[in-house]
Amino acid sequence: MSELNKLLNKLIRDNAGKAKLFTAIVGLTIAILLLLISVQLQLNFNELLNSKNNKDSIANFLIINKEITDASLGNTELDDSIINKIKGQSFTESVGLLSPSRFKASIESNSSQFPFYTDISFETVPAEFIDLQETNWTWNEQSPYVPIIIPTLFLDFYNFQFSLSQNLPQITPAIVKMVLFKVTVYGKNGSRSFNGKIVGFSDRISSMIVPPEFMNWGNNVFAADTKNQVSRVIIKTKDPSNPNLTKFLKQNQLTTDTDKTRFSKYRKVVDTVVRLIGFAGFILFIFSILIFTLFIQITIANCKEEINLLIVLGIAPNQLRKFLMGRLFPIYCWLVLVATIIVIILQYLLHIHLAKQLVIISPFIGSITLGTALMVILVIWWANKSTIQKAVYPKNTN
Amino acid sequence: MFELKNVIPFPLMEKKGIEKSNIWNKHLLFENCESIKITAPSGTGKTTLIHQLYGLRKDFDGSIFFDGIEIKQLSSHQIAVQRQNLVSIIFQDLRLFNQLTARENIELKRVLQTPYYDSSKIEEMAQLLMIDHILDQPASSCSYGEQQRICIIRALIQPFKWLLMDEPFSHLDNKNKQLAIELITNECKKRNAGFILTDLDDDHNFTYSRILYL
Repeated sequence: MSELNKLLNKLIRDNAGKAKLFTAIVGLTIAILLLLISVQLQLNFNELLNSKNNKDSIANFLIINKEITDASLGNTELDDSIINKIKGQSFTESVGLLSPSRFKASIESNSSQFPFYTDISFETVPAEFIDLQETNWTWNEQSPYVPIIIPTLFLDFYNFQFSLSQNLPQITPAIVKMVLFKVTVYGKNGSRSFNGKIVGFSDRISSMIVPPEFMNWGNNVFAADTKNQVSRVIIKTKDPSNPNLTKFLKQNQLTTDTDKTRFSKYRKVVDTVVRLIGFAGFILFIFSILIFTLFIQITIANCKEEINLLIVLGIAPNQLRKFLMGRLFPIYCWLVLVATIIVIILQYLLHIHLAKQLVIISPFIGSITLGTALMVILVIWWANKSTIQKAVYPKNTN
Repeated sequence: MFELKNVIPFPLMEKKGIEKSNIWNKHLLFENCESIKITAPSGTGKTTLIHQLYGLRKDFDGSIFFDGIEIKQLSSHQIAVQRQNLVSIIFQDLRLFNQLTARENIELKRVLQTPYYDSSKIEEMAQLLMIDHILDQPASSCSYGEQQRICIIRALIQPFKWLLMDEPFSHLDNKNKQLAIELITNECKKRNAGFILTDLDDDHNFTYSRILYL
């Protein structure tokens, strides 16, 4: 400590009492901790919603159709007005129409060792809604095969149920992709067969998908009617847990995969809790700042005569401010550091805990949380500085 | 350099005979290195003038300039710089910190800016003024005479171009006064500094370049 500060320490003493100071320190630590925790929780939550590491990311795409009830049977078509309404919602980023095939089709095995045959129907969606980076997602009549994407669920169903019950071998996705099978399309103009090949498995769409070119060709050549009905749409949304989305679907008798939107209930609760924590932290923070401001004011008021004489003798405002700040400001910095370290530890523990449940969040705290900690220091510094300025030089007296 | 332009303190505005003053309501220049004595009876504003020159009082009409800058316009920071490096003062009412020792009172003024002297100079000056034995006593337990000498050393331990002295020897006997005069003269010479001294009566304590009557 400098010689000047040693002397100033003798002249300007704290009169607020150590017990009160300790209480205020504890209060401020809790306040800063709550603030940082609420910021970090919000960041974790956003990470969970948007990260590609989490299974939840599949929920960014939702397939929407009318609820099937007694009243809506046979009338599940989505007309332009409802599609436009969906497009206009704030939670909708983009909408894709799922076009069903209006021709009959079947697939059958080319191999006698592994025989199968089934009637089937297809759907198609715009390429941007497919969760696979398939480069050959196109078709024309000269193509060697029709690329088809099937739901992952189909393979699971085969491997874990069908193969076991029929005493058939289990197959891997790689093997499935190697198999060529026969796709037969038929309708008003007879029938036509092509080779078909599974090019990928989708978590997103629960039907067999073919390129739009194949669908258009099939519908044109073989469909019994020309009416292009839409009964399902796929939407891209930033936040499938958005409570407004659930509300909108309910109001319009629409439905989607409830697993994906069920999250919205938890989201509401988490949002409220995080906001409450943040609010409590903010209020505590304001009170703690006020208490520390009072400490400074009391100290200055109690040493008014000494401070006045120091000013008369020529102490500079920045010397006095540095000294007064030097008494409490390092404490604040330590408090923020301790609170930040606690949040770092909590985040790491939370990361380990959630990883066991296959929910991946970052093991480190976010830069915004660190930024908030720095901001807290800045706010405290500013509050201290202005309190000292006002208390020592109330009317800019010399 | 101090320049006074028609300065009249508000409390003295209505006072009779103020027109006879060499200072109030006059235009004056105190050139650097001058030794100025201001003589006046009690109640005519000696302390007021010293405080105005030091920037402590602003309740006056007219203007005071220090090195071309009006003192009333100086910021807190500029005033502090001036008091740390350019203008030192010996107050009539002493103004010591009672809770500090004599040495600490002087030391505070030594380290308030880049020190002009080493701390051993405190001991040396205290020996010259014969108060070295009380240096580690609280200022409050010292006699007025001792306190006044502490104030003199406190004013001389810092750098300055001007030394303002407001009845600086009022509590000193002749012998101690002579010692103090010698020390002040030497320190001003060393710095090539001027001084302004106020007192009740005429004296020949210093070689004055000017004697003014308030």
